Amino acid sequence: MRRRAAVASIIASAGVILAGVQVGAAVTAARTPTATGTGSGSSNGGSTSGTGTSSGTSSGSTGSTGSTGAAKDGTFNGTTVQTPFGPMQVAAVISGGKLTDVKVLQRTNQGGRSIQISNQADPMLRNEVLQAQSANVSTIGGATYTSEGYLQSLQAALDQAGFAG
Amino acid sequence: MHATFETMGTVVSLEWSGDEQALAAARAVFERADRRFSLYRPDSELRRVADGAVELLDASSELREVYATALGWRGETGGAFTPHRPDGAVDLNGIVKAWAMAEAGRALGDGDWCLNVGGDVLVSGQAASGAPWVVGIVDPADRASLLTAAPLVGGRRAAATSGSAERGDHIWTRGREGAEFVQVTVLADDIVTADVLATAIVSGGAASLDDLTARFDIDVLTVDAEGALRATPGMRELVSDSVEHATSAR
Repeated sequence: MRRRAAVASIIASAGVILAGVQVGAAVTAARTPTATGTGSGSSNGGSTSGTGTSSGTSSGSTGSTGSTGAAKDGTFNGTTVQTPFGPMQVAAVISGGKLTDVKVLQRTNQGGRSIQISNQADPMLRNEVLQAQSANVSTIGGATYTSEGYLQSLQAALDQAGFAG
Repeated sequence: MHATFETMGTVVSLEWSGDEQALAAARAVFERADRRFSLYRPDSELRRVADGAVELLDASSELREVYATALGWRGETGGAFTPHRPDGAVDLNGIVKAWAMAEAGRALGDGDWCLNVGGDVLVSGQAASGAPWVVGIVDPADRASLLTAAPLVGGRRAAATSGSAERGDHIWTRGREGAEFVQVTVLADDIVTADVLATAIVSGGAASLDDLTARFDIDVLTVDAEGALRATPGMRELVSDSVEHATSAR
């Protein structure tokens, strides 16, 4: 569960990692809509035109759709690249000729922890967060309550217990 | 030891492994802040500034310092956090509580303690069991239950939660109908950063969320009106680990 969550968390970072490491100097060029991923380090293709915004920056490095302007639909695996953070491989999902998603197939790993390149907040499913019982917590965080609101709060119940170690 | 007391319109819960002196010191900090900064007190300095009876330039150095800090955060957050009401009046409610918590933390020192003020949390050291302090996060859809819990580890000492549902009195959403996020929890190394940025994200919505998580060393959990969650990688790891920590504390 924890590993799956960690993998999910880095998906959004993939574009950043690849843009920074693999594409290198092409990053700035790829940000403009007319740029054609010149300077891409990837071997299979690399001429996909930048279509998206931030995701567009990684299309130049992961697209494997040949050199024509219109990209074919499908999921295309990029090659594994060595980054300063470890090996990294992503897949690009092209739909309707546009890059719609970048998936991480192999993520960097250092000491068992995913490397946080991006700190972006991404959707998280409720069943990914561990359910907590108030008996297992030291204190309760929540939007500021008034003195009156406190009486109905979980914190009041915890304080009633008198000990929260 | 465990104590609760009322101040600044809310309730303080303190758990600490010290003597009564530590409690008295923390309590004095809040009482002083309450006298100076509470707008509901007709005799507070901030009330008199808001009424125009006292010029800001003639205010105490403490009030000017807090105001300057708030203005600094207004710049840092691109205006998502502001110490002014829409009518222009100075309102330091958004920062005074966190500022007082930081001051109380200094008064409490480096020992083991957990300070909860109206749902915002600042800790030091460890819980009595030797495990990290674990903050349960209320489910905004059902305040009698917890959404999840996060241990305060790795330099994280503060957890602040802002919401548009309960007492959103210091949060002004910016030109949108209703807030995108009904609850935002921010973990940071200090309570002022956590509190200001939680407020700013509720106020500024998804744009502020992306901007502030990129620029500040914070972990964030948001809940939107449909109950959907978003989490930064660090928060994801903490809330996935929380039960391990909590159960090992037993």
